[in-house]
Amino acid sequence: MLNRMKQAGARSRIQRAAGREPNSEPLPLRTDMKSNLDCMLAITGSPDDLIVRHFTIGAQHLPVALMFIDSLVDKDLVQSQVMKPLLQHYENAKNDLYHQAVQLVVEEVLTSVDVEILETQEEVLNTILGGDTVLFLSGSRQAIAIGSAGWKSRGIEEPLTESIIRGSREGFVEDLRTNISLIRRRIRNPELRIMTFKVGRRAKKTIVLIYVEGVANRGIVHEAIRRIESLDIDDIEGSGTIEQWLSDSFMSPFPLIANTERPDKVTGALLQGRLSVMVDGDPFALVLPITFSSNLQSPEDFYQNWLLATLTRILRLLAAAIASFLPALYIALLEFHHGLIPSKLAFSIAGAREGVPFPAVIEAFIMETTLELLREAGIRLPKPIGQTIGIVGGLVIGEAAVAAGIVSPIMVIVVAVTAIASFSFPSYSFAIALRILRFTMMLAASVFGLYGIILGYIMINIHFVNLKSFGIPYSTPFAPLYLDDWKDVILRAPVSFLKNRPRMLQPQDKKRLNKK
Amino acid sequence: MNHWEYDDNKIEAKELTITVSSMIIGVGILTLPRVLAGTTSSSDGWISILMAGAFAVTIAVLLGKFAGLYAGGTFFEYVRSLVTKPVAIVITGIMCVYFMLFLAYEIRAIANISKTYLFDRTPAEYIGLMFLLIVGYAASGTRIGLLRLNTMFFPIVLVVTFLLLFFSNSIVNWADLKPFFVTDVKRLMVGAKDSVFSMLGFEVILFYTAMMKRPKEAPLAAAVGVVIPVVLYVLIYLICIGTFTPWALQEIGYPAIELAKEVKIPGEFFERTESIFFTIWIMTIFNTASMALDIAVHLAHSIVRKGKRIHFVAAICPVAYLICMLPKNVIEFALLGEVISYMGFLTIGMTLCLYGVAAVKGMIK
Repeated sequence: MLNRMKQAGARSRIQRAAGREPNSEPLPLRTDMKSNLDCMLAITGSPDDLIVRHFTIGAQHLPVALMFIDSLVDKDLVQSQVMKPLLQHYENAKNDLYHQAVQLVVEEVLTSVDVEILETQEEVLNTILGGDTVLFLSGSRQAIAIGSAGWKSRGIEEPLTESIIRGSREGFVEDLRTNISLIRRRIRNPELRIMTFKVGRRAKKTIVLIYVEGVANRGIVHEAIRRIESLDIDDIEGSGTIEQWLSDSFMSPFPLIANTERPDKVTGALLQGRLSVMVDGDPFALVLPITFSSNLQSPEDFYQNWLLATLTRILRLLAAAIASFLPALYIALLEFHHGLIPSKLAFSIAGAREGVPFPAVIEAFIMETTLELLREAGIRLPKPIGQTIGIVGGLVIGEAAVAAGIVSPIMVIVVAVTAIASFSFPSYSFAIALRILRFTMMLAASVFGLYGIILGYIMINIHFVNLKSFGIPYSTPFAPLYLDDWKDVILRAPVSFLKNRPRMLQPQDKKRLNKK
Repeated sequence: MNHWEYDDNKIEAKELTITVSSMIIGVGILTLPRVLAGTTSSSDGWISILMAGAFAVTIAVLLGKFAGLYAGGTFFEYVRSLVTKPVAIVITGIMCVYFMLFLAYEIRAIANISKTYLFDRTPAEYIGLMFLLIVGYAASGTRIGLLRLNTMFFPIVLVVTFLLLFFSNSIVNWADLKPFFVTDVKRLMVGAKDSVFSMLGFEVILFYTAMMKRPKEAPLAAAVGVVIPVVLYVLIYLICIGTFTPWALQEIGYPAIELAKEVKIPGEFFERTESIFFTIWIMTIFNTASMALDIAVHLAHSIVRKGKRIHFVAAICPVAYLICMLPKNVIEFALLGEVISYMGFLTIGMTLCLYGVAAVKGMIK
């Protein structure tokens, strides 16, 4: 990952140094091998890891040169697939190499599977920077690209951000090929489509769009292709950037495109009729389009008994309500509507708040902000120390704050329950959205009490019905109403009942079971 | 194959039904039991409600048929093809003002009731303003979005209302409903008139039928949309009579909310259920208000035919706010309600006349 980023950065510097406009017309290669090589060295600033290996082949001793970047290629591969055949094959050959040399080398000599003929400087540069080897032949206007990329990449591990109890333990890695193989292995279907796009002006990075032909709605596929093709960035940083570019609206705190590290989640989504976008060098795959209810679903729901899964989903919905409204409700009840609290509870709350100098609003804001700080700190700290933060924050600050009379114990309970609720979603980006909502609702409640909360709730709903993800309303299947889809939204009906793909996605093939 | 089933922004019959029901259910039902207790004796008000319901269903079906004539077009354009342009402008203008007043009424009502049940110190002006801002935000979004909001809120309101009715079962004294049929016809008719007032709002069919996939289903959908509130009204009325007795009921400002106060929810987590009930009721009042604003904006836009929707929202909201703050007390506020109700009758009458004109001109197949 780091390598690639450095590489991309280096490339933009190179282009500036060489005084080339990134957008200029591609320059063709010349017949003179030396001038070609010099040109490449000039553009790249001849770095130390750019290797040029001169040698001759054939009976006529045709001068050729190999060019590759040391840190990006698998040298064994270059030796066995390129050098060896080139040198050995022509020991006894009498063929006239000067005519159609490129053709002969490609067709008869090279043993590598991954071979391509290049004609412009642009292509050559991209190939070299992508970790492949380029073979220049004297007197030819073409060069040969030989696939040799091979660098250290992280092994497949269990995804850290989305752990589940039951189900596959594999997670995506930074290498796009490995990621695609993880998907291909799960969907052995000839209709699986993987479209490749090269995006970026200064450095081309590979983006793939994955969908299942015959299942995904064509309108959504066309729209996704249109949006990816309209990307005009000079360098892509990762899937997070792409997500924001592809998103329908930037005015919403809610994720309109999901991201996941789990191949099984992507597979499930593809089979439902959704699409996936992956970026080279990023272990997060994007899933689109999504609706509000997708944020509350986990692949695990489908691996478990339906009763358990349904219960979990209702629990998550409850968690969403708690995470966004509980502190606001606390403020509203304590500041505006004491009457609503049962009298016995009201007495104990009043007793606990004895000596707390601040109104409930200030109390709630202090505690919630502290909690957010703890959470942020917990992420940044190295793992072993991260736990210390949990103990220091949770126990020490909570205890001490109560003992010091800054907050009431009830407030600590409210904050703790809210925090636990907000950790129970399978989607991290959704949890962030709810964080923003929580503070907004607290503000609304501190001004207008319950009335403020209900107005806030209405406002969120207004926002929902106007949101779309790739043309699919965010509020489906609630509005527009698709009762059939409810079987897999709040409930998770037994698998034999889920006969149809979600109608809200308008799949081409509507049926999933019992096809006649 | 149709790739974009959503993008055509059309609604189905069930959604029109929900729209009509949400529009009707608003502030009216909160006071209706009191009004009926004043005009009819014993528990005979239900006859009035049913009479009013039958009347409303008939009108709704007629309006649904009329609206089916210009599916895809706007009300104003169609009226202009029936009568001369100035007349069309006047008719559409009156409708626009009617819905604007409707909006103003809802805002003031929410401010008044909130002040009674939720706040004691916050001024009604602020409460109303906040509500208006939210309604304005909703109306500046898409029209289809508004109808989808109905679909989201209506079930919640319905479920909460039925829960309330269910739990109040234990406090109802069914003997109080007796005797039956003691009110004379004249007083029943007065009661029916009052009930129709709280059923106004179904005129929305005129404007939302144009967004239907199959406009032919509009009359039926509208009829069902009126029947749901009628059933709800009868139930609420009877339970209010049974809980409070007809004599006490006359003195209660908002019987439907007071009913929530009396109800004992098992578990007793919340002491004063009426605040919760009203808070949820705000959702349906919001639906009514946002659709009223939307239609006012739509009508004004269709006459002027310039500018964007949001400009009209920005123009109509302040006017509605000023109007809603005009009544100084409850009596003047009730007067505003009455004016709006008569305007409602006027708009219905005008539309039926237009239907006649269309029939004469032979535009109905």
